Amino acid sequence: MSEPAKEKEAVPAATPANVVPAGAAAAPAAAAGTVAPKPAPKAAAKPLPTPVFNERHGKLILNSRYWPTELWKSPWSLPSYRKGALVLFGLIAGILLTGAAVGELSRWADKLYALIAAFVAARHWPAVTTDAVWDLIKILIVLHVVLINGLWAIWWERKISAHIQSRVGPTYAGGWHGWAQTLLDGVKLLLKEDITPTAADKWVHALAPAIVVAPVIIAFAPVTFGKQLAAANLDMGVLYIFAFAGISVIGVIMAGWASGNKYSLLGGLRASAQLVSYELPRGFSIVPVLMFAGSLNLSTIADAQAGYWHGLPRWFIFYPVIGPLAFVIFLIASVAETNRTPFDIPEAESELVSGFHTEYSGMKWSIFFLAEYGYVLLASFLLATFFLGGGASPFAFDHVIPSWIWMLGKAMLMMFTFLWIRWTFPRLRADQLMDFNWKFLLPWSFANIAFAGLFLLFR
Amino acid sequence: MNKGAMAPDQEQDTPLKSDSMFINLGPQHPSTHGVLRVGLTIDGEMITKAVPDVGYLHRGTSKLAEVRGYHHCVVLTDRWDYVSAMPNNLVFCLAAERLMGLNVPPRGDVLRVLMCELNRIASHLLFFGTYGIDIGAFTPFLYAFREREMILDLFEMVSGARLTYNYIRLGGVMVDVTDEWVAKCREFIEYFKPRLDEYDTLLTYNPIFMARTEKVGLIPPQTAVNWGLSGPNLRGSGVNYDVRKADPYCGYEQYDFEIPLGKTGSCWDRYFCRVSEMRQSVRIVLQALDKLAPGPVMAPGVAKVPKPQPGEAYAHVEGARGDLGIFLVSDGQASPYRMHVKAPSFMNLAILQELLVGNKVSDVIAILGSTDIVLGEVDR
Amino acid sequence: MIEYFSKVFRGAWATVAGMMVTLKYMVKPSVTVHYPTEKLVPFERFRGALLFDPGTCISCNLCVKACPSTCITLENATIPDPKNPAIKKKVAKVDWYTIDFGKCNFCRLCEESCPTKPKSVWHSLDYEVVFFSRDEMVRCWKAGTKFVGQYWDRKEKAFKDPEGQIQIQDVQARR
Repeated sequence: MSEPAKEKEAVPAATPANVVPAGAAAAPAAAAGTVAPKPAPKAAAKPLPTPVFNERHGKLILNSRYWPTELWKSPWSLPSYRKGALVLFGLIAGILLTGAAVGELSRWADKLYALIAAFVAARHWPAVTTDAVWDLIKILIVLHVVLINGLWAIWWERKISAHIQSRVGPTYAGGWHGWAQTLLDGVKLLLKEDITPTAADKWVHALAPAIVVAPVIIAFAPVTFGKQLAAANLDMGVLYIFAFAGISVIGVIMAGWASGNKYSLLGGLRASAQLVSYELPRGFSIVPVLMFAGSLNLSTIADAQAGYWHGLPRWFIFYPVIGPLAFVIFLIASVAETNRTPFDIPEAESELVSGFHTEYSGMKWSIFFLAEYGYVLLASFLLATFFLGGGASPFAFDHVIPSWIWMLGKAMLMMFTFLWIRWTFPRLRADQLMDFNWKFLLPWSFANIAFAGLFLLFR
Repeated sequence: MNKGAMAPDQEQDTPLKSDSMFINLGPQHPSTHGVLRVGLTIDGEMITKAVPDVGYLHRGTSKLAEVRGYHHCVVLTDRWDYVSAMPNNLVFCLAAERLMGLNVPPRGDVLRVLMCELNRIASHLLFFGTYGIDIGAFTPFLYAFREREMILDLFEMVSGARLTYNYIRLGGVMVDVTDEWVAKCREFIEYFKPRLDEYDTLLTYNPIFMARTEKVGLIPPQTAVNWGLSGPNLRGSGVNYDVRKADPYCGYEQYDFEIPLGKTGSCWDRYFCRVSEMRQSVRIVLQALDKLAPGPVMAPGVAKVPKPQPGEAYAHVEGARGDLGIFLVSDGQASPYRMHVKAPSFMNLAILQELLVGNKVSDVIAILGSTDIVLGEVDR
Repeated sequence: MIEYFSKVFRGAWATVAGMMVTLKYMVKPSVTVHYPTEKLVPFERFRGALLFDPGTCISCNLCVKACPSTCITLENATIPDPKNPAIKKKVAKVDWYTIDFGKCNFCRLCEESCPTKPKSVWHSLDYEVVFFSRDEMVRCWKAGTKFVGQYWDRKEKAFKDPEGQIQIQDVQARR
């Protein structure tokens, strides 16, 4: 075996000479590095077939070219990077321009309502028909906000997580950055076999996803999407949302118990403990907001944050100490409520093999995700409404961009924060999670209420 | 819930029929790093009994070696600890060279050290990534693999394989490296050093990670020694034993490096030992690159079919997972009469049955991950 | 009190620092190779699927002996002895040659042991070694077939070209 050492092969240099384009006539140039030191073959060797890599699908790239050291040297010299930045910039500009062109959505809503009323009046139908149709439209819109959000949020999460991890995420489905990935995944999930394990309690197993997803749709009713833009302008909107969001935990426990799987049961048990616990700091953290706004109505809360102090918007997050503290507690509790890392112990992949939805497949399984992302969106809108001024513009001079664009932008920023947190942190343990809640978040949310009281007292 | 899944021995242990549950962790569990099965008896979230069950990846390499030539055995060694195959190659070659009385030329020794240390980095990177996943952080995994990929490229350049290298041979190494390879290696090291600090930010000193791993799975030094642990698992408990220092081979005594030691023997200490070892390996790699003097890489006169004199030889190296030893007996034939492998992963796995009891289910994953076992080496 | 707040502050700071690391990589170009549309060219020493050239093979059996998993088998070519046509005489030519890729370790020992120049058996750069059946794994060379491209279909009892996959003889030779 000493032979190879003596042979002193030429270096496997990753020079362009190594790459043989498809259909190159022969290999002498490519193989020159290796062949050169060897003596000429004694027997006239049969000529080798044309050395071709299978280029059936695409181009060949050099081995060294994907090293981060090469790629990150000057990212702007990469065409794909420049293109991506341009597309991103174009998208944001396009959305802003569209918003400016469309204007306030509430104006359009009023027009639509007037149109329906005129239509009803022309047909001499009873006047209540107008409100019935109008409510139906609002219900459909809220329903579709949750459904489309599922498609959008999953795609976005996949892209964001991929880019955070130096990957690219879905790229093929649909063509442009894999935009159709979730859509096609949804089709796949619809066509999948719906399996109910033999050990499962069939009725509860089937009912659980419905109980998880229904409250999130209902809870969206009072959420304001902009100025005067809510499906239901409820005076106790905050209470309503919290009340309905709390119902989902029943579905999670049912799913865990009914699956007939020990891991699922553990997941369900953990979920019940976690969700019930984190309701408390989540509720208490917004008490200061309610104290300042003096209302439980989401629109009123948003309107209370209008105006500017010397150019700085009077958003609640900018209130000294109280605002950021409440914001952080609410954000953390919301992350825990949505069962996402670092609080994803109910569905801990590495421990419980997905926890309470291990035994679900097909559409039942995806409904859990619909609910999860629905809650993420709900939390994003609540964060934007409570702390980021709702539809208020961050700039005093801006009167062009309508409130729904700002609202959507803030909500998406919050959603990005959710994704960002998820893909950065490890997971807490069940008892640490409880410790963190009861010994840190809850006391501080109480303290924050006291701070807010003092602030109001001495203002 | 499902009575059929109760282990038969379990029912004797709980005469009162309390609510204890038997769960199978593995062999298809995502966090067992291969095909390990741990039978867990849990009471709520608390482990009352843990029985590791091995043998799912048994390939009988010890027996195979008895009918294979010495050169063939090097190929077999690749398959033990498949995430760090270079030390496996090395330890067999050291034992066989001892039998045959071969002397490796200096450049060959330096290359062996270089490759083993690069492989140690690659292996610890894999540990870093998978441990992050065990604890719930997915992103460090991808970062670790991004860097590991570069090391695998370096190995591919020099040996032609990315996982089972068969690079270290009897009497030296397969082929020499070139200046371009050395430049690439330096480029990687320059790139890698700042990444280590980022890993610290991302995982090592992350409060959640520390909460999950500190004060969990404590191994007192005496227990560690009693169970025969080695490698970072032993050093995490504060026992200063490293074969590279205790019984230097391949000229390790000429290199300047430290042995990182843990304090309490917790999961975090074991983890931190590995991350610190990566820094030390970077130091060794740089020194080895400076040491590369021109010369042969293979000892002259290695027989194509070696038939060493009857006798026995033991060699051990500090693999990525600990003290990897080989006991070779030759009866003068072309294949070893007996090859015994002292695999560190197997020893490190054994302590689980004591270590897991009294911990929570989440901690099982943290502890299992922190021992960094490779089932290919456990079962061989 | 101070200890408590410094602990909280340090925890928060470490958290934010971790998030900054992930944000930093989010805006860097990804290192992904889009595999089927972009293919990496392996380094020159890469040990891919084995290739065999009957033109240079002297049928010395060294590769068979070097293989740790006995995946190579070959048969000497014979010619009738001119003096006594009943006796077949072995010549330094190969009659048939098979490589069982189901067993192959890709260890390079056969290539190193091959005494001919250029090598008769060597690793190509092909890393797309895919098989649809066990029969396909055993690639044969026989007079009339080119390189180690065909396999023996046990059902149909015939040599067949592998279909629907890259054919290893089409890959850049490196020897």
